[in-house]
Amino acid sequence: MERRTINDSLVEVDSHFCWVIALRSEANPVIDTFSMKRLPSAALFPVYINPGNGHTLVISGIGSAKSAAAATYLKALLQIKSYAAWINIGIAGYYKEPIGQLYQALRVLNPENGRAAFPGLGFSKIVPGTTLLTVSKQEENFSAQVLYDMEASGFCELAPLFSCNELTYVFKVVSDTPHTAASLITNKVVTGLIEKNIETISKLVDAIEALLKEEKKRLLIPREILEVMENTHFTVSNRNKLKQVYRKWRTVFPGRSLHEASDPKTSAKEFIMKLEQDLLDATKVWTLT
Amino acid sequence: MIETVYVEEEIIDHAITKRVLKSFPRAVTIEISRYQEIFNKRHQNFRLQKRNPALILAKKHGNFVLPVPSGFGMDAQKNFYFSHMYNCIYDCRYCFLQGMYSSAHNVLFVNYDDFFKSISDTIDTHQGCSLTFFSGYDCDSLAFEKISGFATHALDFFNKHPSVELELRTKSVVTSTLMKRDPVKNCIVAFSLSPQNIASVLDNKAPSIARRTKALKQLARAGWLIGLRFDPLIYCANWENMYSELIADIMDDLDSSSLHSVSYGPLRFPKQMYKKIASLHPDDRLFSFPMDRKAGIISYGAEIEKLMSKHIQTELNKYTLTSKIFRCTV
Repeated sequence: MERRTINDSLVEVDSHFCWVIALRSEANPVIDTFSMKRLPSAALFPVYINPGNGHTLVISGIGSAKSAAAATYLKALLQIKSYAAWINIGIAGYYKEPIGQLYQALRVLNPENGRAAFPGLGFSKIVPGTTLLTVSKQEENFSAQVLYDMEASGFCELAPLFSCNELTYVFKVVSDTPHTAASLITNKVVTGLIEKNIETISKLVDAIEALLKEEKKRLLIPREILEVMENTHFTVSNRNKLKQVYRKWRTVFPGRSLHEASDPKTSAKEFIMKLEQDLLDATKVWTLT
Repeated sequence: MIETVYVEEEIIDHAITKRVLKSFPRAVTIEISRYQEIFNKRHQNFRLQKRNPALILAKKHGNFVLPVPSGFGMDAQKNFYFSHMYNCIYDCRYCFLQGMYSSAHNVLFVNYDDFFKSISDTIDTHQGCSLTFFSGYDCDSLAFEKISGFATHALDFFNKHPSVELELRTKSVVTSTLMKRDPVKNCIVAFSLSPQNIASVLDNKAPSIARRTKALKQLARAGWLIGLRFDPLIYCANWENMYSELIADIMDDLDSSSLHSVSYGPLRFPKQMYKKIASLHPDDRLFSFPMDRKAGIISYGAEIEKLMSKHIQTELNKYTLTSKIFRCTV
């Protein structure tokens, strides 16, 4: 008998919000808000998940490389789909007050390789946007008018590869400025800074959800066509052809049953030809809506 | 409304930059090194970006004027195009820009003078030839005019070069820039048109056909030369009547002397471009049509193209001279 592990069942969960957060103190308010539970089987990085609402979270530890590694680990562990949103949130230094202000990083600079990333769409109606510089050690001089963090550039190198740039987001809460020493930031303070912004963060999640729903609709292969491919032998080439012609066929005949089209039982090639013929027949009275 | 403006550091103090930024007082402004850092990068999603595109203000460094692809122009000996913008504020389902770029952000090149210098050089090197310069190949010529003011500069320039033609191609009804000045006799304002039933489905965010028709007639009455562009021709049930009515509506009270040219062209895409665009809109009926694939080109097929061309040509011949009608094949 086939033995299923906990991970086998979790990969079937539609985890579509993937949080990558450096510190547990930063993660706690997000974990609580989206009711995630620790996944005991995750060994390399602590992972939290809520199969009900699609939120999952990995605690990466401090540093750009760890952030990239943790995101990759989460992607592989739960086989995250390509329509998922990837969010890096945490605290950051900034050249000016106020402490506790949430920003969206619209430009993320990596001083080590000189590259810039431009994650996500701007949500300036919800949160102000600015430039962020990822540094390898805590910033004390604040010489540029940017946010300073230690993770985002690594995260931005990889997360867009897992879905796309427009579903990759970086948000930072100002924790220290030239007038506020970083040494005063305790775990409790960090948690408080994120908690203070949780309402805005939830609004951002709603805005991102609208995007990922659109992307999911575009990319998802419907169950009915997967069943056809399971029940009839298709070559790789015919599978791809079927997916394409099916999508067109379903658009043109939204109410028609696919089983009717495949009845009586036909070969893969004949089935594809049947769908193509239906489309050709429809051209005589073609409409655009 | 544009929420984010990316500006190249090099042109942050350029007069056009300052003017454009004034139009978006609430937008977040982010300085960048070069527009290629953000525009047309891998792993970008055109469809999602189109929901909320940013504006990128940049400086163009070369290739200001380029020869048009063969089959695009009218009867001038040499046809060129220039693109002061990449992308368009409209979202037409068939637009080839979706297949050309992975970004939906709008790039505006603010160094207008460099474009005009290059156009001037092109005119000088083609003395004695009839030349047409097309604007609006990679963007709409007038849709962003209130912000960019580019057409105003272009009209000033071409007014001083009456021996060559400028075509402004548009779906916009923002014609105030043109209406408030005397017609530029070597400028053709070319409107892209489809039957309303088709445009209402495919020309997202663009003005209705009634408004476009009204705008073009207003310009014609004011003495501007008008071009009519039925490109791409879209196939659907009752297309014959729809196109006949559209042409009749436009030609009804249009002074024939104001009509510079009419062109029409079939819906055609290079194979890779079609694949990319169709993958952005897999549930759109435009891309559900069982298209013909021949020699790397995706189209409705020779039979439909021939039928549509013949019908459009016949309808147009009722109102205008054959010499003014052109079939585009690009």
